[in-house]
Amino acid sequence: MTVPVWRRTLLSVGMVALALIIGVPLYYIVINTFKTQADMVSSPLGLPETWSFANWSATLGDPGIYQSFGNTLYVTVLAVLAQLLVGAMAAYAMIIARNRTTRIIGSVLLLGFIIPPQSTLIPLYRTLVGFQLVDSLNGLVIMYLGGSIFCFFLIQGYMRTLPYEIIEAARIDGAGTNQIFWRIVLPLIKPILVTVGVFQTMWVWNDFLLPTVFLSSPQKETIVLQVYSAVAEFTTDWPSFMTITVIALIPMVVFFIFTQRHIVSGLLAGSVKG
Amino acid sequence: MKSPMTRVTAGAAVLALAGSIAACSSDGGEADGVTTISFLSWTGEEQMEPIIEAFEEENPEVRIEASYSPPVAEYIQTLQTRVLSGTAPDVFVVAAENKTNLIDAGAVVDLSGEPFMEGIQQFNLDTYGRDGAEYGLSLSSWAAGYAYNKEMLADVGYDSIPETWDEFLVLLQDLQDAGHTPFLESVDQMPTTVSAMLGAKTSEMDPSLDDEIFAGESTFAEQWTPILEEYNRLYTEGLVSPDVVALDGDQVRDEFANERVAIINAGPWIINAVQEANPELQWEFGQVPGLPDGMPYQAGAAAPGYAISASSDEEKQEAAKTFLTFLASEQGVEMFHEATNDVTVTENFTPEVDPVFEPLVTPIRDGQLYLPMIAWQRDEDVLNVEAVAQVQRMIQGQIGPEDVAAALDAKLSS
Amino acid sequence: MPSMTRAQTPEAPATRRRRGTAGGGWKQTTINRAFLVPAVVVFLFLFVVPLAQGLYWSFTDFTGYSPEANFIGFDNYVRILNDPSMLSGLTFTLLFAVGTTVLVTALAIPLAVQLNKAFVGRNFVRSLWFFPAVPSMAILGLVWSYILSPLPSGVLNTLLADWFGIDAVSWLSDNTLARISVILVGVWAQTGWHAVLYLAYLQSIPAEYYEVARIDGASPRQQFFAITLPLLMPAMVVSSFLLLTNGLKVFDLPYTLTNGGPGFATYTITQSLVVTGVGQGEYGLSSALAVMFTVAVGVIGFTQLRVTSRIGRRFA
Repeated sequence: MTVPVWRRTLLSVGMVALALIIGVPLYYIVINTFKTQADMVSSPLGLPETWSFANWSATLGDPGIYQSFGNTLYVTVLAVLAQLLVGAMAAYAMIIARNRTTRIIGSVLLLGFIIPPQSTLIPLYRTLVGFQLVDSLNGLVIMYLGGSIFCFFLIQGYMRTLPYEIIEAARIDGAGTNQIFWRIVLPLIKPILVTVGVFQTMWVWNDFLLPTVFLSSPQKETIVLQVYSAVAEFTTDWPSFMTITVIALIPMVVFFIFTQRHIVSGLLAGSVKG
Repeated sequence: MKSPMTRVTAGAAVLALAGSIAACSSDGGEADGVTTISFLSWTGEEQMEPIIEAFEEENPEVRIEASYSPPVAEYIQTLQTRVLSGTAPDVFVVAAENKTNLIDAGAVVDLSGEPFMEGIQQFNLDTYGRDGAEYGLSLSSWAAGYAYNKEMLADVGYDSIPETWDEFLVLLQDLQDAGHTPFLESVDQMPTTVSAMLGAKTSEMDPSLDDEIFAGESTFAEQWTPILEEYNRLYTEGLVSPDVVALDGDQVRDEFANERVAIINAGPWIINAVQEANPELQWEFGQVPGLPDGMPYQAGAAAPGYAISASSDEEKQEAAKTFLTFLASEQGVEMFHEATNDVTVTENFTPEVDPVFEPLVTPIRDGQLYLPMIAWQRDEDVLNVEAVAQVQRMIQGQIGPEDVAAALDAKLSS
Repeated sequence: MPSMTRAQTPEAPATRRRRGTAGGGWKQTTINRAFLVPAVVVFLFLFVVPLAQGLYWSFTDFTGYSPEANFIGFDNYVRILNDPSMLSGLTFTLLFAVGTTVLVTALAIPLAVQLNKAFVGRNFVRSLWFFPAVPSMAILGLVWSYILSPLPSGVLNTLLADWFGIDAVSWLSDNTLARISVILVGVWAQTGWHAVLYLAYLQSIPAEYYEVARIDGASPRQQFFAITLPLLMPAMVVSSFLLLTNGLKVFDLPYTLTNGGPGFATYTITQSLVVTGVGQGEYGLSSALAVMFTVAVGVIGFTQLRVTSRIGRRFA
């Protein structure tokens, strides 16, 4: 508003420059997708000697990539929506029914992301075998529900900053708990839902540990498993590894750019900018 | 605020997506007389698929459902989880990292006496065997030694790697005086030099070095200290920078391909990358020089062996044997060699290798290979982590060679 | 609804604290509780049951391969406590967790404030900051190991030599520098995402506060310390708890960048968990380690949560 133009320009230049420095490693990843392995050996981080599209055509020419793309999309969409719902519901319960019991449950739930994932893997696998959910995309979605605890923690932290009067006002107007949740609370917490949603999407989309253990049929592979097909015992075909990484990344870039403006457009946001 | 309608539409879209994917992933029924076996491959899909196709064409009564997991840690983890949950693949590989566990648990079938096990190098059979039983069909081996830049060596009047360690150190000094970086060795794993020197030593011992250590008749301190002392001269005499503790094999390879170092530790997996990156480079492999009481030797091991799950039923085990028979046949071995470039060790096929690697081929086919981690009889992983970390500390000058060996003894007894 | 927020005054936190009693008197308690059910079910099946299984295994000699498991009491725990290399993992794990928590928090808040302002290229800048959190650590570790290579041909060393004539620096081969490098790369990877988290929380600060402050003649710096920082306290509680617990569990980054070296300089507890459990197949032993680790992270995490919440309340 009253900020002079020169200060804005300075901010722009400064922030873009800083971001570019932060982005240097990402530039290296992208640049290597246009190299042959030999080119990468002679200069790992320089510009390609000749721009090679071999990695791209090899990767995009493999029909398996599209199948795994679909699988990943399916798992990610279901898992993230479910996580957000479970997490938001629990956080809401903590706000509306705040008493000793819920408080204790709330802190116990936090144990969920203290436990190192490596230590629950084998017991979980055995359980899933019992339910015939191993080597199944739906089984994988269930595994990712563990992320709801993370969502719960972030969402309930955010909900506490909300003015409680809104909920009370709605209740006086005769709205039920259910209605308040869907109509009032969810829109109000949109910034955190989007932030957490984006973060969990990145995690599920890129996760390697769970798919590699829980999926075994090639036709059920997620896209990150394809990335690791470039890994051999003694060496790794890094250009190919990076190409599939970038291909897996592109939808995430688009997704982030589309969603991130919602982070700052919650109901309370309107007047903050500037 | 999102309208309820949008929400319903989104939900419906998700459900539709769910339905369509569930529909295309359902399996067709199995035809009569066909046995389907599952196979968890260590080798990548690209290399393994043609071999499986060729097999299925020749043996229509067996169908292979292959899945792939990259070596090493991911493979071990996946296999462990599946074995334990009663969903072990019918065919999988037994590797150095899991052989003790698999054999102890009785998870693998004894293959000794099977026709396809004949004509395989004894060294490979022994690697994945115990007390006369043989559990893994290992078709190839690898070796690592030194790769050297011929022109840089010619600069200082050498045409190959000397046979003794003292002469080798003189060569490094000459190279350094001539302005070259003489030698780099990646120390993110057990150094090739140490493995080879230990190998040279144990090859002349009976019982072997590790038999003695693990039986409690000898110690790491007694067996390893003299070798570590010699190895440490690289650093105490200022021939090699202690910075090698932060290098991995790929970085060392890149330095070599770009002619920034005269000699490196290396195995056959660098050949393609080096030749493509620098086709002009004159280079060759050589053995690790011998200590005064030893001979030139190399680090290396038998490749992981194909194993059959003991929990599979008889019909599947038979089908699995058909598959292994194909893998060990002349056609199978040839295809395997062409796909992976591995040096195979069967009698029915002589692999063709790149001329630069020629000096290490005979030792491989004779089984003159040693890798501590595979020779160790228990606690392999824990000891290996300990050994690598302690060797790095020795290179940094924080501890002496005898401390490295003492730490290993302490680890073994804990 | 927006009018409701306008009605709020800077004393709002005081009214907020009263909400505890408001919920209790509600008649729809059952419905309220029902909202917790899915999370509790998830927690029971995906965390409690496997953890209980792990707890049982920690008292056995279970190998992870044979279904047989013999009860051996506290042997596994005794072995861990007597193992000196566990201590080496402990030092760096703590250093990493505390270092990244402090640095990321110190950097992410001012960054979020800047990212909340309008400027040309804002979306682009936000995306770039966020993206280090996305690709797998295997690749990022590789790229950073090229950048930080101690050889004269390393990227950073080449730049330092060309621009300042500085000799090659042993970024990853000197114990102290290696520890600093791993921590800084960890900060690099996480700052952007935590800034986005703070950004979301900034949206819940009513603009009126700033307007009032401006009318009172407060400088931007005064506004930051008097309004922004105190009102970001709830965010800081969440963010620092995440940073600390994730830092204690760190595995991928040191594993790919330094593989725990040189020596044990960057070795982590989770790495020894993986080596004993997966590599060595000593599942009983690694379960015992996991149990001890979970308890330790829990104690540290909850203590930190209590402390920061208390500080937050005092501020607000």
